[in-house]
Amino acid sequence: MANIEKSHIIDKNKLSGEFYFASILQEAYACGVLDKSDIENIQVQCIEFLAYKVERYNSGESSSIRVEAAENIMKSNLYTIGVYLKSLPDVGCAVDELKIAKVPEMYEKGRKLIDIKFRTTEHIYKLAQKNRVATLNYTYNATLSGDGIGLFFKSYNPDYEAHECGGSIDYQLCNPVIDLAGVEFIQKYLESLFLENEFCKNFEAIDIHHLLCGYDEGYKDLLINVFEQVLVGTLGCSLMKRNVMKLDILEDEAWYLQSELSKDEDYLIALKISKAAEEVIEELSITNLALSGYIEESLPKITSNIVHAVRTNTLMKVFVTKVNPDLRPRIEFSTGVKMDDEEYRKLIDELTTCRYSSDKLALIKEKVRSFADIEDVLFDAFLSKREVFVLLNSFQDIEIALLIKRHPFSTDIEAVDLSETEQTLRLYLKEYIRRLAEDRKERIFELVRQLIDE
Amino acid sequence: MLFEIMNMSSSLVQKQAVAEIEKCNDFTVRFGLVLSHSDAAQLVETRTFALKTSGRIEFGGGVIHKLIWAFCDSPYISMNNYTEILHELTEMFYFYKNETLDLMSDDDLIKFMKDSFDGKCHGSLELLAGRELANMARNLRCGYATNYSEDMAYDEEDDDGEY
Repeated sequence: MANIEKSHIIDKNKLSGEFYFASILQEAYACGVLDKSDIENIQVQCIEFLAYKVERYNSGESSSIRVEAAENIMKSNLYTIGVYLKSLPDVGCAVDELKIAKVPEMYEKGRKLIDIKFRTTEHIYKLAQKNRVATLNYTYNATLSGDGIGLFFKSYNPDYEAHECGGSIDYQLCNPVIDLAGVEFIQKYLESLFLENEFCKNFEAIDIHHLLCGYDEGYKDLLINVFEQVLVGTLGCSLMKRNVMKLDILEDEAWYLQSELSKDEDYLIALKISKAAEEVIEELSITNLALSGYIEESLPKITSNIVHAVRTNTLMKVFVTKVNPDLRPRIEFSTGVKMDDEEYRKLIDELTTCRYSSDKLALIKEKVRSFADIEDVLFDAFLSKREVFVLLNSFQDIEIALLIKRHPFSTDIEAVDLSETEQTLRLYLKEYIRRLAEDRKERIFELVRQLIDE
Repeated sequence: MLFEIMNMSSSLVQKQAVAEIEKCNDFTVRFGLVLSHSDAAQLVETRTFALKTSGRIEFGGGVIHKLIWAFCDSPYISMNNYTEILHELTEMFYFYKNETLDLMSDDDLIKFMKDSFDGKCHGSLELLAGRELANMARNLRCGYATNYSEDMAYDEEDDDGEY
């Protein structure tokens, strides 16, 4: 009965998941469940325990330690105790434990729990790797690899850095993990990732690939969440009463949804999306409660995106149409055979000593026979901007497209790594393209997309 | 913050440290070196200051009594300069704990200080801090042996006859 009262006194929502121990002390003190002497007693015990841990940390060889290192050890100790307190049935039990138990005892219990959590997390990692989605997305693959989240299992130090979560985690979940640290964070992250994978496993990898290409053909380099895109795709299909399995929604249908949903109030749109999600769960025969719960958890964010898109008339950017990039014609361009080095050196000597632009261009036209050589000449012959422009005027669209493909316009930051001549060429090319007629520009950029990467 | 570990220099810890230092008198008296209660208290204050400036904390009595035990038989220390030298050594010790990146244990650092003070430095604290300890710390950070010096490297090259 007393526990129930204490649990009611302390507001559970005010407790931090990351700094559980400190927050429960603060709340218990604020509510009068723990008095000043209780808090001081716990503080003294914590300091004494820190002294013990520091001695172990230094292997008894040093009596002093850097403040940052000691603070880190203290955080680790508090985190470990917090893990134990969280494992108790309710906040009331945790407060009782704080009154009775000694800090080292609570730490030891927390430490054992961390070991168990670590092993569980390792198991979930293996499961998440096993049901991974076959996708080209770089951050997804890198995070799941041994050099990503796998690093955590190699570097985790539960004795002195239990609150740290090493490992490289760049992939963003649909529902980000917040208010957790250490092994608890990694466990929650991997559980969520496993559920996301589980959902995506209902679809063919090629369909997901085409859907993501519809979102952006360069999706492999984007920080996107695969699950979110797939879930939105299924919601679009469900709203259009189509089979969700193919993730296929046409552009006209997205327009239709735009016009239909724009008539509704926000709460009605939310209701329709919630209903569509239920239909998706039913159609995919999802019986895993954790997964259906995760989908529900994702809906507020997705609904908000959809409502915003409806109001800004951009729903077709949310409900994207699948794109198969392989259906686009591909062009392979051979740059030809380069001329003999001696001959090329002679040509460059002649070009650099030549006074008149017309003579230079005539010389290039006469001697240069391949694209590979003309590219070199653009770099080595110190041509003026006007000369480069005249030379580019004689190029066909495909040759200009190839130049753009091989020397894309970089941002100023990227350009820092380039040589001066490369920077100059890219700058001239950019200006030349800017001056072209719109239809020719479009034609050239279409060719750039069709050119096969070398 | 509930657990502000920088504010741990409680009076209890200070008293314990002073008592430890005073206890050393039993041993150092044979070398004619004795610290009064106020000397001991001032040394503890110096330790607290040195810890604070070097961004370190210490649990328990600290290293002053170890410094006393190591240095009391030095031929360069007498009652005239005893407390002054201990203050300097205490500050030096914590400074070089940081400079050596904690790669050296307390005992090894104190031994190095004592050997250098009595040996190459001939009782000069300036040489100890500015030359011997600085060189040793640099060597440790660069991965050389603690007694490595560039002169030694040149000597070796001369022996090989290559230069």
